[in-house]
Amino acid sequence: MQPSSREMQGMAGSMNGGISRSSAVAQIALRELQNGHGGQQIPNSVPQASFDHGASGHDDFLDQMLSSLPSSWAELGNLKTPWDPPEAGQRLFSAGLAGESSPEEPSAAAAEGMRYPLYDESSLLANRLRQHQISGGSSPNGKGMMVHLDHQSQQQMLLPSLGRSPVASGDSGLLPLPLTLGTGGYDVDAPFKSLNPTGGEGLFNGLGGPLQRAQSAFGHPQGGASMPSQNFTAAAGAAAGGVGQAASASASASASAGGGTGPPRQKVRARRGQATDPHSIAERLRRERIADRMKALQELVPNANKTDKASMLDEIIDYVKFLQLQVKVLSMSRLGGAAAVAPLVADISSEGQGGAGSGGANSSGDSLTVTEHQVAKLMEEDMGSAMQYLQGKGLCLMPISLASAISTATACPPRPPSSSSLSSAGAGHLGHGILPGGLHPPNLTGDAPASPGVSALTAQSAMANGGAEAAKEAVTVSKA
Amino acid sequence: MDSKGSACSNPNPNPTFGPSKLMLAFRFLRALSIVHRTTPASSPTCRGRRIERAAYASMAYSAGTSRAWSRAVLRRLHHRARRRAVAPRRLSTTAGNRAEALRRLVPGGAGMDYCTLLEETADYTKCLSMQVELMQGIVDSASSNGR
Repeated sequence: MQPSSREMQGMAGSMNGGISRSSAVAQIALRELQNGHGGQQIPNSVPQASFDHGASGHDDFLDQMLSSLPSSWAELGNLKTPWDPPEAGQRLFSAGLAGESSPEEPSAAAAEGMRYPLYDESSLLANRLRQHQISGGSSPNGKGMMVHLDHQSQQQMLLPSLGRSPVASGDSGLLPLPLTLGTGGYDVDAPFKSLNPTGGEGLFNGLGGPLQRAQSAFGHPQGGASMPSQNFTAAAGAAAGGVGQAASASASASASAGGGTGPPRQKVRARRGQATDPHSIAERLRRERIADRMKALQELVPNANKTDKASMLDEIIDYVKFLQLQVKVLSMSRLGGAAAVAPLVADISSEGQGGAGSGGANSSGDSLTVTEHQVAKLMEEDMGSAMQYLQGKGLCLMPISLASAISTATACPPRPPSSSSLSSAGAGHLGHGILPGGLHPPNLTGDAPASPGVSALTAQSAMANGGAEAAKEAVTVSKA
Repeated sequence: MDSKGSACSNPNPNPTFGPSKLMLAFRFLRALSIVHRTTPASSPTCRGRRIERAAYASMAYSAGTSRAWSRAVLRRLHHRARRRAVAPRRLSTTAGNRAEALRRLVPGGAGMDYCTLLEETADYTKCLSMQVELMQGIVDSASSNGR
């Protein structure tokens, strides 16, 4: 079994769209499958379009394969597929389910099956196998069942894509039969194996996954990998989470792949044979995460009562645009005029005049007082001029709460302690009005027991700027 | 010239807060006063642009570098120190283009997956709204107190 599988793998690996070769590989795979299953009854012949060579030898393989599938086929039978499986296929399918082995296999059924999407292919494959079993003969009639069984779980399953009619008329006959008996460490096989005990599911998974991969790889050597991976994922997902959805997903994937040359997507994934189950689960996780984020966004954006995701997105986009526009407008509006020139004035610590920070206490204190009076005087006449005055001194006005909070928050020692100019009284009442609304600085004053007497914030020197400037200008004195 | 509240260690000792309004106000006010001090009064439009840049810079700095959008904003600021600060282009949203439009709006949104894009949008929106609140408050207070 092993050697044959290897050889099969080799064939599969080297195969590049050669249907005949894939057919051979499939045959071999089937045989392997049969061997792997230890002689369960499996249709002898694999109906293949181009299985001109050594078909008989693979019959037993196919037989084994089929024998292991009966339960899975039972499941398949119950699955609803968006595409009507061929009548013959259905008939055979049910026949196969029944479990008898009447080898009469109308190749027509197989032929019809080809055209159906991947999902159907799995069922069709089952049907075909069944039919084969029934017919007991190996007369590939335009349909090739190519199964690449990878016991070593190294190679991807190469299966012709039934759904891909444009692939090749001749190839279309090949019925993708993904069978993964995964005896090796095949990642893909792993989930299937786990499911095998349960019966059909495992096999079904095995079928679904490798089927798609095979078919895509087969049909589109260059871009097949992507297809297989997707199909594989879809198939695996189907097995894991519900056949119907997976079928449609795989079907659509296969259909899309079949529709064109199949852009090379996730080639690596297919080759590496990652499990498909995690992919579908990851997909679901991703969707859930997106939904969570959308909900969070909904709370941020006003008018978020839209139930439609698209309109919600539109709302979000509009809101972001609006905010950016507001920033622009507000920045423009600050030009000129008193309001624009000096919007800020240093605030004085709420604790009152506690004295200068660490530098030049007295002189600064004096200057502070002077400045304070000046500012107060100016404020009475014209706020703009007051602000300009302060600005000239390198001070800024801010709410007391903000200033205290800032000085507490920014308790960094390396604040150049220079003179601190404050005018507590003057700025006090003013301060509260400056930054209404949004600003609610946390009450951090509790943290600093030794409340600084002074907490004047200058724009430029607050953050440990040059000490030179600090001398002239009020500097925030951190309490700590 | 990147004098808008740049190059200083983040003094925010509050890791619990997300975007901190306090630090945002602090940075922005500081940058604003720098702008007012250094910009000649003869170029009001230039000042407006500088203020806008200052706004974004303070936003990005207060948001920290843990956010992709803040990193993108800072990158843009540093690299375009000479040129005008380009306001984020606002392009129309077409039916199938929403994700793209969002990517264009949110800085740094071009290179992230959809899931991350949504997350960044949320954070960016939060910071933007805080910034707008702050600026609006300043304007209001300044205008109300003046004259």
